Amino acid sequence: MITVNFPAAFHSLAGSSVTVRESVSTVGQLVQALDRLVPGIAKELADPLYNIAINDEILLHGVDARLVNDGDVVEVIPSMAGG
Amino acid sequence: MAEMPRTPEFPSQGATLFVDLERRETLTAYTPVGVTRTLLAGRGANMYYLYRLLDETLSPLHPDIPLIFGSGLLTGLVPSAARGNCTSWSPESGVLLDSNAGDYFPSFMRMNGFDHLVLYGKAAAWTMLMIREGVVTFEDGTPYAGLDNIDMRDAVARDTGGKWARNLAMVNITRAGENGVLTSGIMGGPKAIYARGGPGAKMGSLGLKGIVTIAQTREFPTAQPYKPYNRVIAQKLLATSVVKNALSVTGTPFLYKPSRLLGAMGTKNNQETTWSDGLDAQHFDQYRPGMEGCFRCPVNCRPLNDLHSAAPDKYDKGDGPEYVTVGKFGPNLGVDSVESVIRLNNICNDLGLDTASTGSALGWAFELFQRGILTVEHTGGLELQWGDAAMIERLLFMMSVREGFGNVLADSMRAAEKGHYPPEAMQWRIAVKGLGQSDPHDARILKAFALGLAVATRGMDHLRNRATLEINARINDNPAFKAELYGGPVSAEPNSYAQKERAVRACEDIYAVGDSVGMCRFTTKLFNSPSLPGLEEFRSQLANVTGLQFTADELEQCGLNVMGVERLINHRLGVGRKDDTLPARWFDEPNPAGPYKGEKIDRQEFDAMLSRFYEISRLTSEGVPKDEWRKQLAGALGA
Repeated sequence: MITVNFPAAFHSLAGSSVTVRESVSTVGQLVQALDRLVPGIAKELADPLYNIAINDEILLHGVDARLVNDGDVVEVIPSMAGG
Repeated sequence: MAEMPRTPEFPSQGATLFVDLERRETLTAYTPVGVTRTLLAGRGANMYYLYRLLDETLSPLHPDIPLIFGSGLLTGLVPSAARGNCTSWSPESGVLLDSNAGDYFPSFMRMNGFDHLVLYGKAAAWTMLMIREGVVTFEDGTPYAGLDNIDMRDAVARDTGGKWARNLAMVNITRAGENGVLTSGIMGGPKAIYARGGPGAKMGSLGLKGIVTIAQTREFPTAQPYKPYNRVIAQKLLATSVVKNALSVTGTPFLYKPSRLLGAMGTKNNQETTWSDGLDAQHFDQYRPGMEGCFRCPVNCRPLNDLHSAAPDKYDKGDGPEYVTVGKFGPNLGVDSVESVIRLNNICNDLGLDTASTGSALGWAFELFQRGILTVEHTGGLELQWGDAAMIERLLFMMSVREGFGNVLADSMRAAEKGHYPPEAMQWRIAVKGLGQSDPHDARILKAFALGLAVATRGMDHLRNRATLEINARINDNPAFKAELYGGPVSAEPNSYAQKERAVRACEDIYAVGDSVGMCRFTTKLFNSPSLPGLEEFRSQLANVTGLQFTADELEQCGLNVMGVERLINHRLGVGRKDDTLPARWFDEPNPAGPYKGEKIDRQEFDAMLSRFYEISRLTSEGVPKDEWRKQLAGALGA
């Protein structure tokens, strides 16, 4: 079971969090499993604005192949620059 | 002046107003079209004026060193193009001063028929420059002397009968500018500020308290109809994820969380690199009653704030904070309270203090106090303890009038040079080319970011060239798309040095073009998104508005030219390769937190990356334009 938390922009589509019970081993598989639960969310997550953190470790590259484990907390985080 | 045209060179071009504040005289002329074709307007043409008028044998605050305002070629006409630049020789850093702001003044300058203002000479007494329907008068500024931003804006609206955001706009200094505080900016609105490099001190040295424009908004005569294409640009803006899901709803504080998770959040003057989750963007939500924006910008990215205090004072409400202020007055100073950060932000906006430079000056002093290099004997009995928001508030007011230890802080990154701190203090100064860091991001991990901070012409500032998309995993994981964005392959690994010079070069060029047409950095392609308006959109709308035809490559060359002239100016001020570097801490101390714990800047790798950057930027090994290009630029500048 993996919990995925979302920022406000996703709340209308997915709520603030979704629990994935399907067995997955990578972030790429997790996104596909999420899309089966919340159709269309994979497309939203392909937006470069959003990064993914696993247990508070933010991923900056090699995302889809990163391993996830049962009990992980995954978070979608908008990443941008400021002034 | 003799070589400058007396009539517009192309549709929509406004005049350049030369203002002698000592003699109370003005002259008008127009930027030669050859200069426009080389550097565009705004920041670009500002460099033409500074290059021609700079006498480097003087000093930055000498009245013969001009203070120049410039609006972009599209400023006031195109959605999100509401920006202008302010340019001079920086009293804070000693190198180029060039600062960008939006709100309404840059657009309203154009509504009054002026693209550039070139100000020089010292007024005999505090002066207000009034521009009413294009007519310029000098008026007594002494009634406004001693006023900070909130009171001054109230007084000017009352005295002129104008209405902000309708027909009235202003740039003004505060007491900090009057007192020569080197971190003082020129306010361009409740929060908008020409911030970096001490422009407030420069304007104060000329005896100029404010410049007011009063005019109805008007249509410009343009080469061709431009409004249909404005709709294309507006749709592009509003359809972009970073605008609709971040900038328009929360603003820039979103960046705090990824920075702290990455272990890249500059904390306690960059001794540490992560900080409390209490400053994550969502904690500001309860204090944000709405969003505001600049002239004709559909994005509205400026958060308003209201602290709802039980005993409110003038700092209970305000505008902001932006991410930079959250970082510089949060982790940088050991503050973890949202309420404290908002209040300090509101105070800085009133006092006219650049939160980046002011936060840098405070962070440096606090670390020196922590290390025992400064003691209560230096500070007049004040204890500089991390996280003491009440002390920070007190110090801000002391800085603005140069009172007690505030006089030391007011000298910003020059405090050691001016004898306030011992020489060893320089070891812990977080600055490049004499300018404290803008973005509080600790760039020991992100190598494109680090290179950008090192080579930025105005000093340590991310807004000149940050290759922000190096933190976006979806772009890093799509090498072909990333190569298309930057004109060639760039390593996907954030901490790699490979090909990062290419990303910085591309960003520096397009941002310089953006500044020179007046487009906001937040809505310029590559800063926050690959989908925002870029060279193609600028090119199309420049043709409609001005009739000047550019290819995208020619526009990119204009961006490179702007950087080239800036480097020529800096070269005259003694800047060379030795100055394109980073704070010692980033080379010497490993990053102490996060997934990249242990990362630091390798001197040899950095030096090699810098050499590659010079090569693709047509620069010599000393970082100035190579001979052939230099001659071309000199010809275009008439020098």
